[in-house]
Amino acid sequence: MSTIRRFCCNDLLRFASVNLDHLTETFNMSFYMTYLARWPDYFHVAESPGNQVMGYIMGKVEGEGESWHGHVTAVTVAPEYRRQQLAKKLMNLLEDISDKIDKAYFVDLFVRASNIPAIKMYEKLEYVIYRRVLRYYSGEEDALDMRKALSRDVEKKSVVPLKRPVTPDELEYD
Amino acid sequence: MASKYGYGGGIPERRVRPIWDAIDSRQFKNALKLTSTLVSKNPDIPYALALKGLILERMGKLDEAFSVCITAKEMLFSSSSILIDDLTLSTLQIVFQRLDHLDVATSCYEYACGKFPNNVELMMGLFNCYVREYSFVKQQQIAMKMYKIVGEERFLLWAVCSFQLQVFCGSGEDKLLLLAEGLLKKHIATHNLHEPEALSVYISLLEYQSKFGEALEILSGKLGSLIVIEVDKLRIQGRLLARAGDYVLAADIFQRVLELCPDDWECFQNYLSCLIGDGSNWSKGAQNNSIHLPNSGDCKNLHLTDEMFDSRISRASDFASKLAEKASSDSIRCPYLASLEIERRKLIYGRGDMDKLIEVMMQYFCRFGHLPCFASDVETFLEVLTGDKKNELLDKLVESCGAPVTAPKKLLGQSITIFKVRELIGDMFTVSATDIEGFAVQMADLYCKNLPLSKDLDIQESVHGEDLLSMACNILVQLFWRTNHIGYLLEAIMILEFGLTIRRHVSQYKILLLHLYSHWCALPLAYDWYKSLDVKNILLETVSHHILPQMLTYPLWNDLSDLLKDYLKFMDAHFRESADLTFLAYRHRNYSKVIEFVQFKERLQRSSQYLLAKIESPILHLKQNADSIEKEEGVLENLKCGTHFLELSSEIGSKSLTFNEDMQLRPWWTPTYDKNYLLGPFEGVSYYPRENMQFQIKQMEANTLKKIERRSLVPRMIYLSIQSAALSVKYNIEANGSLPEHQVPSELRILLERYANILGFSFHDAIEMVSDFPKGHSSSEVASPNLIEWMNFAVFFNAWSLNSHEKGASHRDINKTSSWQLVNSFLEKQIVEKFRSMRPLLSSPGSDLPVVVQMVTEPLAWHILVIQSCVRSSLPTGKKKKKGGASEQSNSQLSYEIRDSILSVYRIIEQVITWLKEQLQKPVDEGLDMILSSLVTKVPNEGPGRVFHVIETCVASLNDTELGDRIAGSLRCWHPADVGRKLISGQRTVLSELLKICESKIKSLQTLKLQI
Repeated sequence: MSTIRRFCCNDLLRFASVNLDHLTETFNMSFYMTYLARWPDYFHVAESPGNQVMGYIMGKVEGEGESWHGHVTAVTVAPEYRRQQLAKKLMNLLEDISDKIDKAYFVDLFVRASNIPAIKMYEKLEYVIYRRVLRYYSGEEDALDMRKALSRDVEKKSVVPLKRPVTPDELEYD
Repeated sequence: MASKYGYGGGIPERRVRPIWDAIDSRQFKNALKLTSTLVSKNPDIPYALALKGLILERMGKLDEAFSVCITAKEMLFSSSSILIDDLTLSTLQIVFQRLDHLDVATSCYEYACGKFPNNVELMMGLFNCYVREYSFVKQQQIAMKMYKIVGEERFLLWAVCSFQLQVFCGSGEDKLLLLAEGLLKKHIATHNLHEPEALSVYISLLEYQSKFGEALEILSGKLGSLIVIEVDKLRIQGRLLARAGDYVLAADIFQRVLELCPDDWECFQNYLSCLIGDGSNWSKGAQNNSIHLPNSGDCKNLHLTDEMFDSRISRASDFASKLAEKASSDSIRCPYLASLEIERRKLIYGRGDMDKLIEVMMQYFCRFGHLPCFASDVETFLEVLTGDKKNELLDKLVESCGAPVTAPKKLLGQSITIFKVRELIGDMFTVSATDIEGFAVQMADLYCKNLPLSKDLDIQESVHGEDLLSMACNILVQLFWRTNHIGYLLEAIMILEFGLTIRRHVSQYKILLLHLYSHWCALPLAYDWYKSLDVKNILLETVSHHILPQMLTYPLWNDLSDLLKDYLKFMDAHFRESADLTFLAYRHRNYSKVIEFVQFKERLQRSSQYLLAKIESPILHLKQNADSIEKEEGVLENLKCGTHFLELSSEIGSKSLTFNEDMQLRPWWTPTYDKNYLLGPFEGVSYYPRENMQFQIKQMEANTLKKIERRSLVPRMIYLSIQSAALSVKYNIEANGSLPEHQVPSELRILLERYANILGFSFHDAIEMVSDFPKGHSSSEVASPNLIEWMNFAVFFNAWSLNSHEKGASHRDINKTSSWQLVNSFLEKQIVEKFRSMRPLLSSPGSDLPVVVQMVTEPLAWHILVIQSCVRSSLPTGKKKKKGGASEQSNSQLSYEIRDSILSVYRIIEQVITWLKEQLQKPVDEGLDMILSSLVTKVPNEGPGRVFHVIETCVASLNDTELGDRIAGSLRCWHPADVGRKLISGQRTVLSELLKICESKIKSLQTLKLQI
């Protein structure tokens, strides 16, 4: 149970309990605000009945032609509200916006190859490992690029896994 | 930067590209070389100069950069034949902005727009300049011009936003919104609207003017189709209807939203409010500025008959049941919580039954009691129960726990929930010490026994039952508060350190530990845990209150300096870039974000913590350099002799400051940063109920305002005191020209008066207060919370008296000479008394050591500066001395007073040093044995050590197969003695740092002694 609404600047002052989690990165202000200024529909927060921030999702839409897609930049849930499918709800919302408003072909995300719990969760949400990105995280750890096809990609071409891993400089977008 | 390639000033791209490449790869020297060639070949093209300026700025050659760009600007202005393009202007703009000369950048664009009146690209640049300057009126004017030229929707919306900004963030009147509305209407009539954000701006304009009917009409008309997602539209509709007072229709709309999104809690609350006609949520001004909105429990009179109320409530109940039936999974809790909300509302309106609420709560518990968020879910509902009913509920919860549950994880979850409810209702503060100690033992036991459940978890995942250790810590700290037995405090630390050994990422434990170590004067450990939280960026604003207030009172100056620097750097960087991000929102047509960004920037600019850090940072510099008057004067010069802060202090009253700290994660014993229950006697449940929190926050806010106001006077008072002391030495006056002599005493007098007023006293009463202190007449209760301030007052008062001929200076029995004695004895009495009453840090947590640190590093340090100033001025400088009988006499009297004061201060510091050395000489092992022995239970089932014993048993009994490799491996690293050793070494670091400061002061006093 939650109220999911657009993320706003004041939420930056309220998300400490979520961001103090060691896996949740606290970006600089221009990062958050660029997302808010450019893709406000892709940045949502879930609030508890006591008005606490339970978690949030931030993302964007980018690409050209058949690679026009939604991208999940971060999705995170406070420890107190985990194991309640909140991340799923937030992901579904972003998928819905990518699908219905922006008519994207797929949604993708990057995850640390070592973050097994997260990978499992994304797989449950029907994301497949599309490719491995070598040493993506600070030149040390590999990332997995996971994708889920949307209704516009009727033949599900966007999620056919690549046979070989790629390096960060081969990526199409930052 | 790649987008900047082009034909700036007509220079071909191929000539510019290598320069940008060099800039992008930070090869500035190379870039400068290439640009110099470019400038020499194109001496009359300003773009080349602008590039040079940009590179110089990057290289840190700020003056050169500015002068090169000014030349470029003059070139632009001087010749009509020169090509003016946006690339040149925007390059200049970047440099001028970085050099804090926004006005010059703006003037370039203004000139260009004047020269090419219909060039929209240049006008956009100018608009951007006005956005950077927050000139809303000019923004609006230029946007309107662009709109008139090209007729594009976006420019109209830029103008509309600028109108809104004038009203919301400037001094613009509401009627501007009417103007904006008219413009939009006209545009819609001819061009329609094409962007969803434009529609939402239009609706917000109408809504702000309470034109709900019109807004609704637009939403349901053709324009409404711009909002693609149905529920989004319905939510706006519901809100508008409710605000218009049409609750019946609004309730229907909210019902439709709930049918589509059954888990939308806010929507259910709106639905219920509308159904029973409670409009309190919708009245204007219902939104406040607080970060955490309290749940509204306002009891408004409803205009419903009992029958109507009952029938509406039963409609809501039916609907909630329907939603619950449809809810397919247990992750949808809203429909169930809805039943609780219905019962709560009934109670609020005097039509409820607590037993019914308890019954529904029990049903909710059976279904969701195992979830970690159960307690916070139901917190609001507990608040409407009486004390007896709360206890009745607790008994029922205990009874039903585990009944139909077989899964161990669920059982564990339910047990934790019951402990949490106990905490929430304040039960832990009313039962006996033995009972709560029993709970803590149970918690630790439950945690340990359930560790095998976490056997296969990834290190990233929380261990099952993590909350138990925090709750056990809460109890142990309370037991420490009740009994003053350090064993409990150590035990609290031990279990958290133990938990962090098992999984090192539990921020909740780290925060608790941070506060426990702070309380026990082991600030370096507290700071280490704080650092491990990786607090950065915006979290600096919301989380650093956990450590900053303590750091300000401790001698860990390098760490404090880093903390302040990082925080101020973050805030200032945001203020610099915020306008560019606002322009980004304009460009991407997300107009609602424009207003939001500007308001957010203002909110951060008015942050109380930001202001405090801005003042404390220079005060820290002053403290660090106080041993040398020359260095101190250097610092003061950089601070414009403290004048800037003076202005700030005067503005405080008129500013509404914001408090953005997130207090939610603070431990119960220190709910705000100026309150620590552990420093006073046990007050039991009196800190409950939680409504007190609002009051405490208000009090903290008022205290902070006063503190900022007071602290910002200090740099100037130090400066004036140094001046006054110098002037007092008659035969060697050498005014430095910054202030006419006679103004020093009068300004210092005004500031002393203000300082006294902030402390709640008149000038004369304040003098009386400090003069009575050494005689023991003053009530120490009056002074104790502001002891440092009183000591500062005495020091600055003495400095002022040296030069004042005013009557107040010889108030009562105080005269020029005796003000020295007054300050000597005041400082000596307070400082010596303080540390003499102090027991060793290890056996007495909550020590007054930070107060002693402040006394030595602030009032005492300022007083030494006054002495230094007198001594320096009395030294022969090679100039001919003025001779005169009377002044000779008064100066010899003065030098006697100064010598006396040096000796007095010397004595004080010597005594502090002796005490510190004594403390530091104590063997570490002795201390370690002492604290570890406090964990040995002397009486079975009583006293500290029982919880610790549970942990020790757990470590010894659980085996690797049960725990899995990871947890078992961590347990092998658990060494309680190391925790004790760390604690002792943390305290010793603090003592050593203070010792260093004192020794340096002694050195400077020795020099002074020789000089006089």
